[in-house]
Amino acid sequence: MRDIKLPMSEADAKSLKLGEMVTVSGLLFTGRSRLHIRAVEDNIFPPIDYEKINCFFHVGPVMRQNGDEWEVVSCEPTSSIRFERYGADVVRKFNLRTLIGKTTMGPRTAEALKEVGGVYLTKIGLSGNALRGQVKKVHDVHFLDELGKTECTWIYEVENFGPFFVAIDADGNNYFEDLAREADAKMPEIEAELGIPEGYTYTEVNG
Amino acid sequence: MIKREVVTDAMYNAIRLGATKMPPDIRAALQRALEEELDPMAKKHLEVSLQNADLSEKGNGLVCADTGFPMFFVHAGKSTVIEGGFNTLKACAEEATARATAECFLRPTMVHPLTRKNPGDNIGPGMPKMELIFDREDDGLEIIAAPKGGGSEIFGTFYRMMFPADGEAGIKKFVIECIKDACYAGKVCPPAIIGVGIGGTADLCMGLAKKAALLRPIGAHHPDPEVARLEKELYDAARKLGIGPMGSRGINAVLAINLDIAVTHTAALPVAVNAQCLVGRRWVARIDGNGNINYTGVLENA
Ligand code: SF4
Repeated sequence: MRDIKLPMSEADAKSLKLGEMVTVSGLLFTGRSRLHIRAVEDNIFPPIDYEKINCFFHVGPVMRQNGDEWEVVSCEPTSSIRFERYGADVVRKFNLRTLIGKTTMGPRTAEALKEVGGVYLTKIGLSGNALRGQVKKVHDVHFLDELGKTECTWIYEVENFGPFFVAIDADGNNYFEDLAREADAKMPEIEAELGIPEGYTYTEVNG
Repeated sequence: MIKREVVTDAMYNAIRLGATKMPPDIRAALQRALEEELDPMAKKHLEVSLQNADLSEKGNGLVCADTGFPMFFVHAGKSTVIEGGFNTLKACAEEATARATAECFLRPTMVHPLTRKNPGDNIGPGMPKMELIFDREDDGLEIIAAPKGGGSEIFGTFYRMMFPADGEAGIKKFVIECIKDACYAGKVCPPAIIGVGIGGTADLCMGLAKKAALLRPIGAHHPDPEVARLEKELYDAARKLGIGPMGSRGINAVLAINLDIAVTHTAALPVAVNAQCLVGRRWVARIDGNGNINYTGVLENA
């Protein structure tokens, strides 16, 4: 399995194939809904060098404070599809070449990733406990008091972080959209086997 | 009489164990699914998830970091007496939740729905959710703690008021479409346990779906053979979608489909769907009349 250095180069991003499993090493920043909404609606975002820290990890980790040090108790990627309304704007604003999360993102984010030459990686199984061991250092935290431990932005240094797989490649192809089309194609046969008449519709009461 | 601190301890330990251990029937079902899947990615999803549960059990980590909505189902008996009366159960649930959150067994996830303010202890109006059910013969208390993940609740909840003419075909169409949507891109973290409520009022219907998803052990079926037949037909159909673990190409979109029913209005056919994710989190504390507590991941057959 390939390990990709962060920040991810455009060449690396373009070489990744849909469905390929990878790990990543380097610096990343975390965030969820609040980061997306505030960055786009209010132009408030973590003051970091986005050229160096260019990987956005969708997560609300469980963090424990021991003296001055922060420890990651668990970090399970969170559902990225929730951020689709803001995803494309955030990718363009910070020129993000790596997104890591759970589920997938929609066509607008895929289009933005294609523009900047970036990819979306999604989680394999539940791996929060393995991932926490791959966080080598918690470098910094932004907006902790305002947003709390789950929604604030952490800066992690990670090593062989993953594995994840490529769910949206740098050409904007989406692994899950392909699979959904396959499932849709199977539906008529499945419905027939369940005894649902062809062309069945629910009773409509709203005119 | 069961002492108040015994109840609080039982609730705390049940939710802590629920957050850090995978129930044995769920683990066995995931293992079976792993043996059955063919696609390397489908297999990898399950392998990694089972390893993650091992790590969590060994290192006191979490089976999944999103410990979600704190929920307690409390079964009481005919002659159960609690110090301070049944009213005290809510306070016990709050203390147990706050303690488990402070000790990092629960992530502070509950926020105000409008201001989005996070109190940091998972407590607020309606949360933790506690349901009291009087269905035991003895003087004990059974507490089932079920920290319910966001993915399964947010992406796995559906309701439709159908009509008698929509019939069984309508129920089946609705349920199979819900499963396809819920499992798209692994939204509810499949293989999921799908609870389906049929009948009652809207809230009763959804409650049936939720309890069918959360509180029935894998392998148990509805006692009514007609309902059990529907469960089996829908289960077989879901396995043909081509959707597997975490939304990959595979067979096991679901571990089980559990239906439950209530009588309903002669003009109505309400159907609700609620999904439980692959970690199937719940842990049971049984307290006898003398206050002795016994913890287990095994549910009594519903
Ligand atoms: S839905 Fe997935 S991410 Fe959420 S609690 Fe369940 S297993 Fe964890």
